[in-house]
Amino acid sequence: MARIGVFICHCGENISATVDVKKVAAAAARIPGVAHSVEYKYMCSDPGQQLVKNAIREKNLTGVVVAACSPRMHEPTFRRACAEAGLNPFLCEMANIREHCSWVHEKGDATTEKAVDIVRTLVAKVKKNKALQPIQVPVTKVALVIGGGIAGIQSSLDIANAGHRVILVEREPSIGGHMSQLSETFPTLDCSQCILTPRMVEVAQHPNITLYSYAELESLDGFIGNFKARIRKKARSLDETLCTGCGLCMQKCPTRRIPSEFDAGLGLRPAIYVPFPQAVPNKPVIDREHCTYYRTGKCRLCEKICPTQAIRFDQPDEIVEVDVGAIVLATGFDIKHSDFFPEYGYGRYPDVIDGLQFERLASASGPTLGEMRRPSDGKVPETVVFIACAGSRDPAKGIEYCSKICCMYTAKHAMLYRHKVHGGKPYVFYMDVRAGGKMYEEFVRRAMEEEGVQYVRGRVSRVFERNGKLVVKGADTLLGARPIEIEADLVVLATAAVAQPGAEELAQKLHVSYDTHQFFAEAHPKLRPVETNTAGIFLAGACQAPKDIPESVAQASGAAAKVAALFSQAELVRDPLIAVVDRQAPPVYSSCVGCFLCQSACPYQAIEKEEIRGRDGQLIKTVAKVNPGLCQGCGTCVAFCRTKSIDIQGFSHEQVHAEVLALLNRGERDA
Amino acid sequence: MNALQEKARELLATKTVRVVIGYGPGSGGQARALFVREAAQARELIFDETCLQNLAVYLMKPDVRQLGKAALVARPATLRTLLQLAAENQLEENSLLALVPGADGVLSLSTFSALEAQVASQDNELSVAEKSELEKFAAMGLDARREFWQEQFSRCLKCYACRAACPLCYCTRCTVECNQPQWIPVPAHDLGNLEWNVMRAMHLAGRCTNCGDCSRACPVGIPLYLLNQKLILDVSANFNSRSGMTAKADHSLSTFKPDDPEDFIK
Repeated sequence: MARIGVFICHCGENISATVDVKKVAAAAARIPGVAHSVEYKYMCSDPGQQLVKNAIREKNLTGVVVAACSPRMHEPTFRRACAEAGLNPFLCEMANIREHCSWVHEKGDATTEKAVDIVRTLVAKVKKNKALQPIQVPVTKVALVIGGGIAGIQSSLDIANAGHRVILVEREPSIGGHMSQLSETFPTLDCSQCILTPRMVEVAQHPNITLYSYAELESLDGFIGNFKARIRKKARSLDETLCTGCGLCMQKCPTRRIPSEFDAGLGLRPAIYVPFPQAVPNKPVIDREHCTYYRTGKCRLCEKICPTQAIRFDQPDEIVEVDVGAIVLATGFDIKHSDFFPEYGYGRYPDVIDGLQFERLASASGPTLGEMRRPSDGKVPETVVFIACAGSRDPAKGIEYCSKICCMYTAKHAMLYRHKVHGGKPYVFYMDVRAGGKMYEEFVRRAMEEEGVQYVRGRVSRVFERNGKLVVKGADTLLGARPIEIEADLVVLATAAVAQPGAEELAQKLHVSYDTHQFFAEAHPKLRPVETNTAGIFLAGACQAPKDIPESVAQASGAAAKVAALFSQAELVRDPLIAVVDRQAPPVYSSCVGCFLCQSACPYQAIEKEEIRGRDGQLIKTVAKVNPGLCQGCGTCVAFCRTKSIDIQGFSHEQVHAEVLALLNRGERDA
Repeated sequence: MNALQEKARELLATKTVRVVIGYGPGSGGQARALFVREAAQARELIFDETCLQNLAVYLMKPDVRQLGKAALVARPATLRTLLQLAAENQLEENSLLALVPGADGVLSLSTFSALEAQVASQDNELSVAEKSELEKFAAMGLDARREFWQEQFSRCLKCYACRAACPLCYCTRCTVECNQPQWIPVPAHDLGNLEWNVMRAMHLAGRCTNCGDCSRACPVGIPLYLLNQKLILDVSANFNSRSGMTAKADHSLSTFKPDDPEDFIK
């Protein structure tokens, strides 16, 4: 005979303000099988938990229903309390009378009645609950970091310094990411490469880090602690073990007029190249799309002059398979380019550039060697207009969000320009200046008050060319929306930060959720900002949302701490709420007929084939079997099984059926 | 002896197969299944327009499997059924011979690729008459259709002849026999009858190969084929696939794809 304890929480006034908890407790006491029913102000408090523990011991309860908040909040609390009192934790269920009832209804009899119904269903369920044991899975203590920008670098170094092996995968020929392209960083104006390159070198030298540059994730299988990743190492077209990085090939390559990705299209590079001098690894790649040999079958000049004979024209892509226990996603962001803006010339004017292009113009390693010269004719611009919120905060362009970094880098750009062109006139068009951050407001103030940057609050409606000048038409909304027209030599758009192209595809490979803008979604916006909804996969940097460098680094270290915590145990304990396939005594063995429709339905590849054999080794039956490590308990297979041979532990057919019947038979309730 | 009888005699005489499952004369001008296990008996085999049953149903019966390797006289729907059974891991390659009588003698197919080629060469579409009947039915409107089916299902006896005749109803434990919990009421009342027939139709969605045996088996003449054919058309329209075309697992309704547009979730 079931002896169920029902514990009803007031949640302060969260529940008791609209639900008559005393009535619920009295009604619950009348449900057949309920041996104990009480209400209390804060059931999750220490004395509240003590009520549960005492009742389990004194009344010898066989099951517990806590009617309180969502199981996502306090189910672990009460399951632990039950375990401490000697009751199997999976014999404890939460009846959600807060989110599902008190919060969404007015005070009244119907609300109280609904709370009673919710309790009634959970009592019916818990009577059918079975004691379950947690699943233990081994952990592979190797981390995979995807993306070698500052976030990926920081995560890799932190995990590696914690003593674990790291595999860092970077899509481009070198690590460094966007930070390596920046000239100086706000709010200190220190040189970006000067602070970044030591970290890059540390990655290259760290004994715990294996770096796969010019590589991409091909596919991912498995689950937390036990992922299997296939990495495609794209062919560099040279033998990395022989190449010394001397650079002779790059000097002699006859195909030299390819827009450099690193210089945001403002500089040129040869077909065999390293993106920038401090690249890690400092080994070139051949850009097969542009290389004369791949296009015409002739040339091979680099092969002839390579002193170590390292060039391999026929090198194929290589697939590397690695076992990893955790993954940090740090794939970063991209920006919209000037061609996204019809009102600013669709990218037709060479002197309307984006923020990254300005960084390259200002950088000592850039195409102008740090001299402020505009792209069209190399003249020093006398008037520069910076347009903030280009695309961002603009629902008409489909980008409702604030790109967060632009206010700060625009102030920085205007300052850098003034430092290089002392008589220059910088204008900034802005909507609001958002400078929340340590020393950020002071930095913007400095631009406005000390560096002579003219801030104009208003939006720019059009940019067009007239007599060799770029005419910027806007309005100054602080002066009664007075129209304003500035003849500029250079226009810099602080274009919106957007997700990397391919982010959606990668998210699908990893079963990670993403938002409408293809930024990866965190598990909880406040309390779990570095986890994804897929256990064992963490987020770092601007792949989650636009972020500046300090934020990216902080999140990267946070993700690394999560990985280190995961790796601190030899085995991982998981809830046993997974699918199981029916097994029974001979001659039936299993009601599964082995059609394996469940196999294709499973999103986690958790269903395997099991051959049931007799003592003589003769095959009796081939049936489905669920891998307890892979199964996430989603229940898709259960829905597809025609013979109802699959059940989810903790949510079995019997339990759910009992819940439904408890609701349907509510008319027959005891008065 | 015609070509089919000759082929069956030869297969049995050479012990290539242990049993030839074909058609023999039955009562009331109908053909019935004939299990030929002796070469001499092969002359009783017939193959004409009365031979309608999908004989693949017998392959799923344990007592037939015990007889040894079989040859099976196959009509177009039978061939589709064999491929669907293969896709559902119920049929091993080369474990039987499908005998397809034709104008130039009898084809004998045993590999999946040969079965697939034969199915690809035959007409698998619903006939014009079948399609126009479905269209007429769709035009009836929701209420009229509900009334129609309520009337039809009210006659259902829950004898499960449809299930016994269906080669894809090979489950050893049917949902209707699960009683912990009891999903489908056993008595032949309106609700239980509706649940049983809708459940069976849904279990066959994306799987049914349109042999029509369920309707022929029904002792009270419920036109079950209408449900199955409608689902065949819907699956074909929504997933661009037809059951019984390939031996590879290609289940329209139970395949998880990360790039599924999910545009049916509104």
